[in-house]
Amino acid sequence: MKNTKLELSVGIFVLLGIAAIAYLTIQIGTGSLITGDTYPLEARFSNTGGLHTGSSVLLSGVTVGRVEAVRMDPSDYSAIVTLRVVSGVRLPTDSMASVKTAGLIGDKYISLSPGADENYMTPWTRITMTEPAIDLESLIGKMAFGSLDKDKDKKTAP
Amino acid sequence: MKPRTLLLFLASLTLIGGMARATTEEAEKHLQTAVNEVITAADHTSSSSALETTVRPILEKNISFDAMTRHAVGPGWRQFTQEQQKEAIHLFTTLIIRTYISKFTPGEHPIITFKAASTPAPGRVEVPTTLLYKGSHYDVTYRLENTGGWYITDVVIEGVSLIANYRTQFDAQFKEGGAISVIRSLTRSVDEKR
Repeated sequence: MKNTKLELSVGIFVLLGIAAIAYLTIQIGTGSLITGDTYPLEARFSNTGGLHTGSSVLLSGVTVGRVEAVRMDPSDYSAIVTLRVVSGVRLPTDSMASVKTAGLIGDKYISLSPGADENYMTPWTRITMTEPAIDLESLIGKMAFGSLDKDKDKKTAP
Repeated sequence: MKPRTLLLFLASLTLIGGMARATTEEAEKHLQTAVNEVITAADHTSSSSALETTVRPILEKNISFDAMTRHAVGPGWRQFTQEQQKEAIHLFTTLIIRTYISKFTPGEHPIITFKAASTPAPGRVEVPTTLLYKGSHYDVTYRLENTGGWYITDVVIEGVSLIANYRTQFDAQFKEGGAISVIRSLTRSVDEKR
């Protein structure tokens, strides 16, 4: 009888642990751990480099929001990212959003850099001053192997 | 919805669509004219030293250096006095022109391919281009704003924005010593490019 009680309490404890891990995984994944009021903003990028829902939004290295959604605009194939930024952070209209990488091969995040305008972004404002993810492989390729067009130029030069 | 209201609604949608297209085309045309003007002027200049004098008025006519400096300095800009703002604009203009010229060799003709422009927000147009210069390909996107005419306000080369690049540096300078520190570092950079 005593053993059954012990086994039951261990079972409940394990189940609670699994439930807590599952809850935290979902919360971190969707970025819901940002507490307090938030407001949505949109940013348009030519390349997000694999940014995903739940990625961090940083300002001066401090997490001020999360990526809520990433979708593609079929009209020009650009990526539209919806961000949720904490309400206390007011961003001038010429603020910039850049897709950065934590370390060389780390996770992608959005870095915000506030501008100088006296007007501030309101919910659902679209940030147009953006920097896409830098394609390191292609840059390294260009530096290491040069450009194929060098030869083409020589051939076509008068 | 009454047929007449529906007709008016559809007509206004067509009109708005047509206006947006016209705006984008206008900005594209403006950019192409500006680029061609710079290339023609550079072709008629034999030395790098003369290039600054030749190209400066063309660039000043087509680039909003006021907006560019304001955007590049960032939040600290509001704490600059009017005189400091004027000085910063003048120095930043010279720095950008000299940096641009130092990358340009008279006689070397770049080949620029203009791609389809987009309108990320009203009054703003982005024109992606591919630049072939000295045998290398570069992806260059021009950002234009309509402030009583179309002006270039940012250039993104290989994904790196000119504004973002300078904003990081100016922000650090401003946090270190305010407007004076920004102007001092600008003066130093301009002198180095002499």
